Amino acid sequence: MIVVEKRGFVLPSIHSAPPFFTEQPNPTTHATATAQWIKLILTYARHRKLFTLRVEDAETAGSDWEEILRNERINRKILAPHLSNILEAMVQQNLAVYEPPKQARSVLVFWRLQEEWAEVLYDWVTSTGQLNTIMTFYDITDPPLESLLTNIPLSLLRKAIGILGKTNRSQIIAIADGEGVRFLSRSK
Amino acid sequence: MRRGVGLAAFDRQEQSKRSFAELSSELSKTQVDNLHSQLDQFRTALAHFASTHRESIKNDPTFRHAFQQMCASIGVDPLAGPRKGGWWAELLGLGDWQYELGVQIVDVCVSTREQNGGLIGMTELVRLVSKLRGVTGGEITEEDVISSIKTLQPLGAGYQVVEIDGRKMIRSVVKALDDDQTVILAIAQEAGGRVVEDQLIRRKGWTRDRARAALENMLLRDGLCWLDAQDERTGRSYWIFSALQWDM
Repeated sequence: MIVVEKRGFVLPSIHSAPPFFTEQPNPTTHATATAQWIKLILTYARHRKLFTLRVEDAETAGSDWEEILRNERINRKILAPHLSNILEAMVQQNLAVYEPPKQARSVLVFWRLQEEWAEVLYDWVTSTGQLNTIMTFYDITDPPLESLLTNIPLSLLRKAIGILGKTNRSQIIAIADGEGVRFLSRSK
Repeated sequence: MRRGVGLAAFDRQEQSKRSFAELSSELSKTQVDNLHSQLDQFRTALAHFASTHRESIKNDPTFRHAFQQMCASIGVDPLAGPRKGGWWAELLGLGDWQYELGVQIVDVCVSTREQNGGLIGMTELVRLVSKLRGVTGGEITEEDVISSIKTLQPLGAGYQVVEIDGRKMIRSVVKALDDDQTVILAIAQEAGGRVVEDQLIRRKGWTRDRARAALENMLLRDGLCWLDAQDERTGRSYWIFSALQWDM
């Protein structure tokens, strides 16, 4: 059974199965369930362009994630310790990082790999003709014309810029009110 | 009157014996020839039938079923024959078809094993295999699945069709279901996958300990069911996933 939710996201049929919301005691089953949760979180994040997932989202009504963390029809919701373990698994698999670092309550979800974000960023800069221009981070996260990078968290943006920096395609530059960045055309 | 008792009588007898022998070998030779030509005819007819109906056999489940039944009733195994793979198989391409289906069955069984513990309902298996084959693969039926599973037997992977409470299921792990588990599976199927201790106590007259032990074994040891710890009524219920439909 597939349930289409109001925002057009297609929930997988497992989301209607009550035991999906319980942490499974059998290790094999647990691994399957966790994999299904991670897949659901990533596709949902991508669908709604969500970047931050907190353990608290399991308990807060009306959070951005409510649609997947709860299922009102069968009266089930994921519990905070369960969600916390899933976040840990995501971090281990490099599908998320704890953000801010040194805590385990909140993650930055990578529904695109960091390397992919770097390419998205570079493609956007190139296609909008902003190579060799000094830009502020704000120019990127809040461009006049909405882009794939609109609202991208600063920490993720920095990572993407860092990745481009390794191939000499970006430079961080100090400007009057903080930091800016300049993208360079691919040498050779 | 006297009958001749001379040597000529022996000669006559020998002569007629020889004639009879010749006649009999003549007769059996004709019969054998006849049989050979009949067999040739049969093979030609079969080859003709196979080439004419090859596509129908591959694509039409009803036709394929009728064909397989016909084969069974005349004692011919479509997969066996003098040559490797069988000349039936070669004529029809049915061998490949069957093996291909076998591989798809294994694929589905293995990929769903973690969710259902290696036990999958026939309808669900047919549904998932059909999905895997896509629209161009043609329709497949339960009979096809059963005969394909038979062809998998020499591999010794333990694929088996079992019947639980009138419902066919395919088991892909070599693990004997004990009686209690069979009962639980049957109950789960009636109840849409959900089983609780009380159901077993009330309907089967089990003691609570027995019900709990059987369910916990299925959950923890065999991974045949999932736990729901948020059940409103009992606080703890067990879900048999092989009794559910589930898209991946």
